[in-house]
Amino acid sequence: MVQNELRLLSQAMADAVEQAGRSLVTVFGRARQPATGIVFAEELVLTADHVLERDTNLSVAASDGTKRAATLVGRDPLSDIAVLRVSGLTLPALASASEARPGQLALAVGRPSEEGLMVSLGVVSKVTGPTRLMRGGVLEQIIRTDATPYPGFSGGALIDLSGAAFGMLTTGLLRGEPVVIPMAVALRIANTLAQKGQVRRGYLGVITQQVKLPPSQRAPGREQGLLVVRVEDDSPAERGGVIVGDILIAVEGQPVRDADELLGMLSGERVGQAVQVEVLRGGVAQMLTVVVGQRNA
Amino acid sequence: MTSLTSTLRQQAAEIVRAARQSVVQVQLDQRGLGAGIIWHSGSQRSRVLTNAHVVAAAGRRPAIRVKLPDERSVPAEVVATQRELDLALLEVPLGGLKPARRRVSNLPRPGELVFAIGHPFGDPEVVTVGLISGIGYLVWPRQGQRTPYLFSDVRLAPGNSGGPLINADGEVVGIAAMIIGGDLSTAIPALVAQRWVEQGEAI
Repeated sequence: MVQNELRLLSQAMADAVEQAGRSLVTVFGRARQPATGIVFAEELVLTADHVLERDTNLSVAASDGTKRAATLVGRDPLSDIAVLRVSGLTLPALASASEARPGQLALAVGRPSEEGLMVSLGVVSKVTGPTRLMRGGVLEQIIRTDATPYPGFSGGALIDLSGAAFGMLTTGLLRGEPVVIPMAVALRIANTLAQKGQVRRGYLGVITQQVKLPPSQRAPGREQGLLVVRVEDDSPAERGGVIVGDILIAVEGQPVRDADELLGMLSGERVGQAVQVEVLRGGVAQMLTVVVGQRNA
Repeated sequence: MTSLTSTLRQQAAEIVRAARQSVVQVQLDQRGLGAGIIWHSGSQRSRVLTNAHVVAAAGRRPAIRVKLPDERSVPAEVVATQRELDLALLEVPLGGLKPARRRVSNLPRPGELVFAIGHPFGDPEVVTVGLISGIGYLVWPRQGQRTPYLFSDVRLAPGNSGGPLINADGEVVGIAAMIIGGDLSTAIPALVAQRWVEQGEAI
């Protein structure tokens, strides 16, 4: 047969879907449309939190159609990630793509029913930095795509043409819009859930406003800060001595330029720990010690 | 060096050029009802596959005609219909036509590229492209057997019904059947159609 790039492209897409599909299961966790889950480790399945409308009586089905009982290991409604354990599940873990670049061809793949895989084609539309979520909190990166999310695609994968995943698809994170949580981010949260059953997020108890520092108060890497406009009563910030009018400029020596960055610095391992918070008070830099509290989901 | 995009474009154009030789329009009173695929051609007669719902529009009137790719119009007779599969086989009194190349050894896989050729809203020979989105199954209550059908996101409109979905090798892999909403439509796999035509089996 003659060389046919079109056939090669077509085969590459079907191969990628088949490859990734081995690691995708149907997730039964709500009355209506089942959703999809990604096998990411032995007996562990990553899925979207919002597709689990109950905590018990969960099950998954693999490509061979066998239905297996699943138990809920942990869920994080803020990032819309949940982890299930399925004993005896020996499917391969889904490979992660090295990076997502806008314009790359991408396939959205789900296993919305026991009938098999569904797929749609699009591109990586955009890779964004820290994104504030509907329910509070921040995800350090999200990927947008124009590939159609068919019913039951939440918890499925956006993959490249080698079958490696850019991330987990969900329509439950940003007002029903399809969003892809990058694999590295999703796996970090999933592994925390697998180990600890929950994701802890830090809490200071301040409301801030970003301000540009005048030249006299700047230093290399320090051109803006967060002006504290409110301190919650009996909050970690109050107990640590933060007052209205302080300008937060660094946490543990890392410059803080906006509120999303600050939230990102208060991640799980810092909860309950004393951190050094640097503020400008009356134009003078001061170091305060604040014990990071835990945000309730 | 030829760019990849222009190569892909040329190859797609070649596939469509070859495939359209086997695509007809099914007509009633010179109005287009849908599309059809030349499935078999002998020396005197040929058989055309289309959807049962396309010819159902003609009711009992024996006035269906088939318009060939070379613009000739010939009378057609409904030889058989299978409503569950939405297939109908027509016969025309003309031989020497070009039957469609088709993939009947296996089902297309989700993710494969497909082109559709049809006459959306009566507009002749319009080509659209998309993917095989997935495979569904029709369950036969009495026999308990399952017949596969195809989901595709190829853009279709009334007038595409009965026309082919063609893969990147230029083979017919499905017969466009029904738009089910959103950007999804269904098609009958070529291998299911082939079995019905050859054996009268609806499985």
